[in-house]
Amino acid sequence: MSEDPYAVLGVKPEATQDEIRKAYRALAKKLHPDLNPGDKKAEEKFKQVSAAYDLVGDADKRTRFDRGEIDASGNERPRERYYRDFHGAGAEQHAYSSGGGYADFADSEDILREMFGRGAGGERRFRMRGQDALYRLPVEFLEAVNGATKRITMPDGGTIDVVIPPGTRDEQVLRLRGKGGQGLGGGEPGDALVEIEVRPHPFFTRKGDDIHLELPISLPEAVLGAKLDVPTPTGAVRMTVPKAANTGTVLRLKGKGAARADKSHGDEYVTLKIVLPEKLDPEIEEFAQRWQAGKEQNPRRHLEA
Amino acid sequence: MIKVQEFLIRARLEQNSLEAWIAAGWIVPPQTEPELMFSDIDVARAQLIRDLRDDLGVNDEGVSVILHLVDQMHGLRRTMQDLLDEMRGSRAGE
Repeated sequence: MSEDPYAVLGVKPEATQDEIRKAYRALAKKLHPDLNPGDKKAEEKFKQVSAAYDLVGDADKRTRFDRGEIDASGNERPRERYYRDFHGAGAEQHAYSSGGGYADFADSEDILREMFGRGAGGERRFRMRGQDALYRLPVEFLEAVNGATKRITMPDGGTIDVVIPPGTRDEQVLRLRGKGGQGLGGGEPGDALVEIEVRPHPFFTRKGDDIHLELPISLPEAVLGAKLDVPTPTGAVRMTVPKAANTGTVLRLKGKGAARADKSHGDEYVTLKIVLPEKLDPEIEEFAQRWQAGKEQNPRRHLEA
Repeated sequence: MIKVQEFLIRARLEQNSLEAWIAAGWIVPPQTEPELMFSDIDVARAQLIRDLRDDLGVNDEGVSVILHLVDQMHGLRRTMQDLLDEMRGSRAGE
């Protein structure tokens, strides 16, 4: 301490003892290390202020200092450890320990009671289950229907293999036990929650466990019937289109839908759609011209009011 | 652990003040039988009480309030520290 003690205390050199005491108290209230347990700077300043007050707070010493008989150096007050120094990490439990600052948390919430509860030997132990980690995983339509294994890269660079069970639906959430955040203090890890986002398919759609497909057929196939290869999620199967099939006719392929939890399967529904050739054949046009029965058909009867 | 005499010297305290402070619950000796014994934290606490009363102009009621709040604050700081240590530890262990 070599600074001017009056300047440190923020008073004029001609200040009264009372003014000096007041100035010191005001500073000490703000700076006392035990009232500022986390502030190292406050301790340094408090030391300076205390040393200054030791010098000029006492009328006799102050007279000698003013006369130049003693100076400001080496005047720091010897001091034992502060009270706060007994409360750091690893400090022992003692009679003054207080959990009063969070007692209300512990009463209202089981998890906090568990976190802040006292473990063996009176030592406070902190335990918390790890956080659940949330992921969104896009999968292809057929991967969701047939099942697949996908790899997720976690934020820390690690990976998790996610088994997509057959029949997984859009927005379904898969829970991977223990693949979430680390537990704290020996608490169990959290889970990874993976929300599946099923991408659309160019021609299959899905309603529940059933697969729907619109199957274009030609006019001859519709009129005469046919055996056609129809795509299903597990590959093409041969399906019989009956004679006189029509646009909108729905045929069912049993068991060709998505898997259910009980290992059974939904069905695939094939909706027929007659498609005329893009370039109209003159033979067809000629036929339509002379086809009297066809002209008499009214397919819009049900729309009439 | 130290005996009363050493405690009084280190804490720069009179015998009758000590008795009053123990009666007020400000100082809780960790051992009372067969004789009073104190530890370093009691010295530090006595020093804090002396600072409050002598230097900061806090009266006896004020001392009780401040000690209570300071102890609660240390409890909270300790819990916060444990929490941060655990979080740091578990992050390092990942």
